Amino acid sequence: MHTEKEKHTFEPKIIAFVCTWCTYAGADLAGTSRMQYPANVRVLKFPCTGRIDPVFILKAFQQGADGVLVSGCHPGDCHYIAGNFHARRRFAAFRKLLEFVGVDLGRLQFSWVSAAEGGKWVEMVTGLTEQVRGMGPMQEFKELALEEQWSGSIDTPELQEAYDQI
Amino acid sequence: MQKYLSENNLKALLDRLIADGKRVVAPRMDAGTPLYGPLANSGGMVMDKLPRRSAKETFFPVCEDIMTYGKEGQKVNLTDIDPSTFPETVLVGVRPCDAAAIPVLDAVFSWDYKDEFFLERRRKTTIVGLACTKADDACFCTAVGLSPADPKGSDLFLTPLEGGGYACETFTEKGEQLINNHTVLFTEPNGSQPLPPAEPQTEKFDLKKVKKWLDEHFEDPAWDSIAVRCVGCGACAFLCPACHCFDIVDEGTEKAGKRRKNWDACGFWKFTHHASGHNPRDLQPKRYRNRIMHKFKYYDDKFGQSLCSGCGRCIRFCPVGIDIAAIVEEISKK
Amino acid sequence: MTQLIDTSIYTAVTEAIQGEARRILSEGSVSAVVGYAAARRKGSAQPVVITQADDSGKLIFSAACVNNLAVYLTKAKKDIPKNGKIGIVVKGCDLKALVGLMGESQLKREELYLIGVPCAGVLASTILPDTALTSGTIASKCRECGERLPQGCDYTPTVTPPITPVLEKKYAAEIARLEAMTPAERWAYWKEQFKKCIKCYACRQVCPFCFCEQCLCDRNKPQMVETTPRPAGNFAWHIVRAMHLAGRCAGCAECERVCPMDIPLNLLNRKMAKELKELYNHEAGFEVREKGPLAMYDEKDDQSFIK
Repeated sequence: MHTEKEKHTFEPKIIAFVCTWCTYAGADLAGTSRMQYPANVRVLKFPCTGRIDPVFILKAFQQGADGVLVSGCHPGDCHYIAGNFHARRRFAAFRKLLEFVGVDLGRLQFSWVSAAEGGKWVEMVTGLTEQVRGMGPMQEFKELALEEQWSGSIDTPELQEAYDQI
Repeated sequence: MQKYLSENNLKALLDRLIADGKRVVAPRMDAGTPLYGPLANSGGMVMDKLPRRSAKETFFPVCEDIMTYGKEGQKVNLTDIDPSTFPETVLVGVRPCDAAAIPVLDAVFSWDYKDEFFLERRRKTTIVGLACTKADDACFCTAVGLSPADPKGSDLFLTPLEGGGYACETFTEKGEQLINNHTVLFTEPNGSQPLPPAEPQTEKFDLKKVKKWLDEHFEDPAWDSIAVRCVGCGACAFLCPACHCFDIVDEGTEKAGKRRKNWDACGFWKFTHHASGHNPRDLQPKRYRNRIMHKFKYYDDKFGQSLCSGCGRCIRFCPVGIDIAAIVEEISKK
Repeated sequence: MTQLIDTSIYTAVTEAIQGEARRILSEGSVSAVVGYAAARRKGSAQPVVITQADDSGKLIFSAACVNNLAVYLTKAKKDIPKNGKIGIVVKGCDLKALVGLMGESQLKREELYLIGVPCAGVLASTILPDTALTSGTIASKCRECGERLPQGCDYTPTVTPPITPVLEKKYAAEIARLEAMTPAERWAYWKEQFKKCIKCYACRQVCPFCFCEQCLCDRNKPQMVETTPRPAGNFAWHIVRAMHLAGRCAGCAECERVCPMDIPLNLLNRKMAKELKELYNHEAGFEVREKGPLAMYDEKDDQSFIK
């Protein structure tokens, strides 16, 4: 039986960029094992964490994500031998850059989740969702997207609504 | 009409205009950089610095929305931006080089197509010019037939006086109206002499001769040596008071977005890049040639004057030290 | 207190550059020399490409020779003839960019003739080129420069750079100031700076490492970065630029110098350089390396940030 779902005033949008071989399979396992985790996460599947361009993370925040999770195979388990090793360096650098321009790193999480770790996937998604819920909506990029210092801003209701839907 | 305006009364004038709900745009410091921008009060005005970007952005902003779209189910809502909502504006502290370029832009934006975004802002703006008393070696307004005390383009023109304050002279109805609406602030001239105007060092160009050479030398090896160092950025065109090219882009998502009008520059490789992949201006010298041609030939062919007011911004801020005054001088001696 | 910086060696450096350019051009060992020449305004300089030995007298070196000429040798600058060996005048900071380009297989050492410049520093800005070089007007990069004599050049004038006064390291201090802020304060700082950006792309066009045939930011299918010069698009552009240069930037600070809106762009690059030095002990230098820090890995790399 499902437990009674808690009602929250703020449901964060979490984008998860995952590799198809490990974390996606891990998430699949969580599903087939009927484990419960927040429905706040939208999963995007990539061949490898090495394919996940930092620009995707930036774009996710720009398009309204409140938190981003990047997850792939444990070191040494990469289907393409070294994709996750390269990704590890790239994200180590990128998170420092985001931190320097003022993004709170509490909204960005990296993890290794293997195909056998359905439980860890649930833990990661739940942890990040609750953490971001505590931090509130990611206002910075949303405000930036609406800012127009060059001409009078014209925020029509349908425009506002459409931005909210993203 | 000639009047005297003290420095304090200029500030009082701006504060009154702001209190009246007018948008007052003047040079101010923006995160450490002098730029034209709307003032919250007269205290923010910076009169001794030439703003990095020219006054054209008051009428022709670097980016403006012209239309928005939003999708509601299967229905698409299109909303045109209504220029009549633009605010009444007073543009203060405009240097003669910037002010003189505004009528030049008028000609382009009201030629075959009437650009209401530009023209409506233009109609609603009163321009208060300010004579220059200092020039650096990049200034060359005198070389293109203007001067540091030229009121061209200004509705009301201020000349700093030796005893402080400004001599005001009106040139249009808009200028007179500004004085008539605030008569207590403007007093009769007090006989103080104007400060000597700045003296740019550049010799006057023979623009007829320059045009003649350009008419005959579309293909010339000189372009390669002139433009070999050009790296193809848009700094010159974006800072220029007379450059007016723009690009229309649609940006947003499938659900909502905007159509925007953004500044563009002929120095960019993408400027003439065709959808087919062909680029008629494939190398930088051809793009730089277009800049010179447009300024001193094409615009002249169409409107009978040059598209340069000698502000010198492109010289000061060219990353690779390209000096348009030196180039024009060189051409005039060919 | 502002101190005058001794640039008296530049006269001898200029003569040496002219002599060497004349020699290599008349011998035919290079097809062209990329250097600096005086321009119209007093004290100003601009990049020049000479192909005739007789033009060697045009070459100069002064505190206004700020450009990193390495940019002209990249494939992005199609107008510079790249047939045969090319001579190029380089300061220490410029040489690091050339070394980086060699590491990225963009240039071959044997196709270059490097004329190294013993450097006492250059101006931070050439808005007024006729400015004396002082502790107040010197470029921030020169305050932190450890290589005033480029190494491994084909020719370096036998002039010893003067001992320059120890100057406060502005980048290091500014990075520390920003790091001490809260994320919200840093966001506010960069928002103010980036909102001035007009997307003239001068930062990209002068960068020796921005040699992509088509920049990500010029693409619209898919459009990863908004092209409009407004806050959202500007923010994205500068983050993308800094990330693409991480581990590649040679620290010439040209991006910052040319920005007409005074955005402190090199702070981003320096910050990334600092992080990559701490994480992977990588630094731009004079030694050609096949791979940059983000193009390789070590199985033992730090992963304390990954759960």
